[in-house]
Amino acid sequence: MKISELESLGFTCLQDQFEDIDLVGGYTSDLLSDVMANLKEGQVLITIQAHKNTIAVASLSGASAVVFCHGRPAADDVLDAAAAEGIAVFNTPDNQFDATVKVSRALRA
Amino acid sequence: MNARIDFHIHSCLSPCAALEMSPRAIIAGAKEKGLDCIALADHGCVENLPAFHDACAEAGLPCLYGLEATSSEEVHTLCLFDQLDPALKFGRMIYDSIMDYPNDPERFGMQPIVTVDDDVLNFADKLLFAATDISFFDLVPMALDAGALCIPSHIDREYLGAIAQIGFLPDLPYDAVEVVSPNPPAGAEKWPIVHFSDAHHPDQIGRRFTEVETEAFTVPALRAAFHKLLPA
Repeated sequence: MKISELESLGFTCLQDQFEDIDLVGGYTSDLLSDVMANLKEGQVLITIQAHKNTIAVASLSGASAVVFCHGRPAADDVLDAAAAEGIAVFNTPDNQFDATVKVSRALRA
Repeated sequence: MNARIDFHIHSCLSPCAALEMSPRAIIAGAKEKGLDCIALADHGCVENLPAFHDACAEAGLPCLYGLEATSSEEVHTLCLFDQLDPALKFGRMIYDSIMDYPNDPERFGMQPIVTVDDDVLNFADKLLFAATDISFFDLVPMALDAGALCIPSHIDREYLGAIAQIGFLPDLPYDAVEVVSPNPPAGAEKWPIVHFSDAHHPDQIGRRFTEVETEAFTVPALRAAFHKLLPA
């Protein structure tokens, strides 16, 4: 599943400057300490933590994309940081559970 | 005395703060805004407090020494002392309990430890916004026992405040709660409400402040002054 295909799940792309590579999996968490310890390279991060530190952690962990749940908007500094790192950013009205199920099904299809 | 206080200011040591936030620049900003007492509260690290102490002494500006600790639930909490040494002792214990995740200066920022003359002494190794392994429920009594004012930060923000991270504001003996919006969230009125800048850039110093009637800028006097902010 390519990163851009997250849009077909009903997610809205907020930051489109990224290389459209295959996602290798996903990680869902709202604690950045947990993300730091467990997110793997090439995964999509699913979270409600829509702030700049999330992008920094995602970047250092090698995440390819981030999805902000509950329709949380992303401030300009968040999107600028993501663009600089080439990390795709999406948001969705879904909660973390529903977003995760959608991504998981798509990855296994 | 009626005093304008801003007890939530970050220096260049905080990864998210501007490098221009040197101790002297912070004090210049505070004087420009007419603040009477300020506190330095970097994320998880107290190593810029000695330079801040010297700069405040040089400028004759009363100050508190502290840090913004991150609990294991990623709740931010201001822990503020009226003396440098206990602040250093408490802050170094907090730093030691931060998860071992190295800072990447290109991504997060440089975290420089500076002298009063802006010379760089060193850099903090760990990523300073990372969480400690101390629960918020333990952190609050630990800070109070160490002699600090304990004030949960930005409790009404969507992230990194007590309500966002825990789901509610736990009933603990805070000295005050910091609120960002003009109106406190429901349930917070039980504690004195304070507004501080959370400045990460010189322009932000004093953008929010609190006026207190206090006899001195000591922990006991400020505790009493905060108490007067409660509705009668």
